[in-house]
Amino acid sequence: MTDQWVRFSKFGDAELVSLTGEIDLANAPDIGKAIVKRIQSAGKVLIDLTTVSFLDSAGVRLLDALVGDLSDHGTPTRLVVGERGAARMTLQLCAFREDVLATDLDRAAADLSG
Amino acid sequence: MTQELRLPWDEDPDDLYEHAPCGYLTTLPDGTIVRVNQTFLTWTGYTRGELVGHRRFRDLLSSGGQIYHETHYAPLLRMQDEVHELAFDVVCADGRQLPTLVNSTLGRDEAKQPRAIRTMIFNATERRQYETELLLARRIAEASERRVQVLQKIVADLSAAPTEAEVAESVVRAPEAAFGAASSSIYLVDAERDQIVAVASTDPTTGNWDDMPRSSPRAVARVAERGDLHVVGSITEAKQHFPDLVDSMRRSGRNTVVLLPLTTGPTDEHAGILTLGVLAFSFKGEHKLSDGELRVVRLLGQQAGQALDRARLYDDVRRREERSQFLAETTGALDEVYRLEPRIRRLLDRLVPEIADWAEVRLQVGAVPIEETKGSPAPDPELLQKRLGKVAASGEAIFPVEDDVLDCSVLPLTARGLVLGTLALRMAPDRRDAAAERVFLGDLADRAGLALENARLYEQERQIARTLQRSLLAGDLPSGDNRFAVETFYQAAAQDLEVGGDWYDAFLITVDKLAVVVGDVVGRGIDAATTMGQLRSAVRALASNEDGPARLIESLDRFCERVESARMATVAYAEIDLNTGEMAYCCAGHLPPLLQEPAGSPEFLMHARSAPIGSRAGDISRKEHRRRLTAGSRMLLYTDGLIERRSRPIDKGFEILAREYARRRDAPLPGLAAGLADTLVGKDHADDVCMLCLTLGTEERIERTIGADRMQIALLRADLRGWLVAHGVGAECRDAVLLACSEAVANAIEHGYRDDPFGMIDVVATVTADAVEVRVTDRGTWRGPLADVSRGRGLQLIRESMDQVLFDRSDGTTVTMRRSRGEDDE
Repeated sequence: MTDQWVRFSKFGDAELVSLTGEIDLANAPDIGKAIVKRIQSAGKVLIDLTTVSFLDSAGVRLLDALVGDLSDHGTPTRLVVGERGAARMTLQLCAFREDVLATDLDRAAADLSG
Repeated sequence: MTQELRLPWDEDPDDLYEHAPCGYLTTLPDGTIVRVNQTFLTWTGYTRGELVGHRRFRDLLSSGGQIYHETHYAPLLRMQDEVHELAFDVVCADGRQLPTLVNSTLGRDEAKQPRAIRTMIFNATERRQYETELLLARRIAEASERRVQVLQKIVADLSAAPTEAEVAESVVRAPEAAFGAASSSIYLVDAERDQIVAVASTDPTTGNWDDMPRSSPRAVARVAERGDLHVVGSITEAKQHFPDLVDSMRRSGRNTVVLLPLTTGPTDEHAGILTLGVLAFSFKGEHKLSDGELRVVRLLGQQAGQALDRARLYDDVRRREERSQFLAETTGALDEVYRLEPRIRRLLDRLVPEIADWAEVRLQVGAVPIEETKGSPAPDPELLQKRLGKVAASGEAIFPVEDDVLDCSVLPLTARGLVLGTLALRMAPDRRDAAAERVFLGDLADRAGLALENARLYEQERQIARTLQRSLLAGDLPSGDNRFAVETFYQAAAQDLEVGGDWYDAFLITVDKLAVVVGDVVGRGIDAATTMGQLRSAVRALASNEDGPARLIESLDRFCERVESARMATVAYAEIDLNTGEMAYCCAGHLPPLLQEPAGSPEFLMHARSAPIGSRAGDISRKEHRRRLTAGSRMLLYTDGLIERRSRPIDKGFEILAREYARRRDAPLPGLAAGLADTLVGKDHADDVCMLCLTLGTEERIERTIGADRMQIALLRADLRGWLVAHGVGAECRDAVLLACSEAVANAIEHGYRDDPFGMIDVVATVTADAVEVRVTDRGTWRGPLADVSRGRGLQLIRESMDQVLFDRSDGTTVTMRRSRGEDDE
């Protein structure tokens, strides 16, 4: 049901969650459920937003909750957003925690290992 | 004085006495014989000396006679002085008994004292014999009549008994009523299973009343094989011939056992006679059956045998009828579903539980073998696998043998000489076993094989047709030109029909001329899909800047001289000059396009109509009609699946379409066609639905109305994005406006219309040289400040992404937002 927006894979030893397309009020709750189900026991998590073409406040709420829960569990997490683009804009407008953002996957993975 | 009659010879009185035609005895009152005539001596063989003075009359009588003498003769004689015609058996000198009739008179003296008895004795041998015979004959006649009555009743019962069980029930009652037997049992021969089955007994506790193989040495089986009546007259006889009877005869005190085969014909013609059962009945004590009884017994055997035969034929006919009906119904039921897996399921539903308690179909088609089962319990998988393998390899069915652990029949599913897979089943316990149903199961598997093969071919063709159709419809439609936008929609029929021949297409003839087309090819399936592809290519190839729609349709008329399957296809075709907005269109037998201009009501374009492509009887002088479309016009091309419904007349369909189309004039273009299809045909549509909606020109001002449904936000965004792009608004500003607009709409849905799922939201956007302004209005209720953190974040996003934001909550909520166009404008 949410396959068109979210895919799961491994990047090194981290669980990689790749989001794509438009994330908004209509699909964010289901996407959230799919992600939580998958990463519950992950050691490290990378969330790739580079191909997200739209992100609204419901999407931000989802990411906020995910990152919050993961850091509560001590799971290292990074969000990968491009230098520009819709996702970066929304996150910046919301003053999202800069320390969990990275601009590319390799750097994010390195952050987590370091 | 009368003259004395003169005799022809002298009558000597002594001689008359001695040789009279009857015996004379004179006795003293105590019975002692004092005088006897020669006739009596001759009859009895005594000498005069033996009797006279030595014997009394009563001494000569049989023991019963002596009693009778004392109780009747003597008292009567004393009272009446005479007795007449009393029957006595006189015991002769050699012990023989002589039946006699006796008259006696008692002579008295003057003092009335008994003086002597004179007795006359008639020989009654003949008369007695006659009487005895008469009595016996009557008894025989009565017994025979009783038997005949019993037999008649049984025959009547038998003729009314439609099943073997009922025949057995009638026959088993016969021996007691007809012959006075103590008990009886009936056994039936089951030729298919080679068994003799005990079916009914008046006293199941006597005898070894149970089933046995036909080859058993037991009496019942032997008699069944010989087909001859057998009477076991005593335990000694039983010991000699059928030792198995001895124990039970002893135990139940039986001395005579009759074993009667129930046969299809008279026992003297052995050829072609079948023994269908055995009736066994027994008597307490030795019971000799008379010839008459034996005749009736044999008759009973034949009558019962014939009734069994008849019942068996009835059973056979009924079963055959049931089977052929079942097969016909199964074929019909399978034909109702086209696709392979539903057909397999349908087959299993027919089999379980009516025929089998477990069944499985395996098909070796395609990359992944199909395996479907129904019923329980599943048999041993290893044994089953082995049997399946054998059957798949040989193409020969395997039926379970006696005491088969697997107990499953496996039949090949074949079509056109190829084994497609297997049908495995275990017969339901109340059905006859699989061996007996061989022919039926074989028939069933043949039909199933053919039906499944057809479904497989259908599936294959359907797959090809779908792929073909999808590849044709998914062709690249022109986009990215802000002078127009095209939205298409295709929905296959809900019922599992083959693909239809509906298609749409849009392409640029030149950079400034757009062609749009919707058509419908006659028929369904792979042929229709292929033809559709050919027509689509033909339209693309034939369209030219100079000729126009009418010439193009004429070319298609010629085209179907070569591609016959394209004949009678319908086409709506239009060419639009993107600079001037001038449109030329032509409808060849197709439904009229529906045009919605920015102002006014929707309008069906009824000009330039002619007959379908290649029509022989219709008007094929092709015309075209031109009209100028104002910017913001929307034109809908569609196929009949959109408006035709069995439940409503077609003009009603047009009416509803026009109304729904008008209602959506402000709806975003993306999702417009799907929304129309949803409203007009719903999910349960019998035909394919194909639509193409063209929006022309860029509106300066975009006005959209959407429902309070979060799914609509993405559609609005797509529309708005296209509009912003068309106006060359730069990416940064565009993203900001889209974000703010989405949040404002989300706010209206989540907050203003939280209790009203049917609320509507108006979105109006305008673009000027230096700014974009968006206004989002809802008529929901506002309840105090926002407590919801996330909505709070939404408002924050609106404020952050736009330069100016104004909230007006006088009537619902209106958010007016403005943002300057950035430096990256295109």
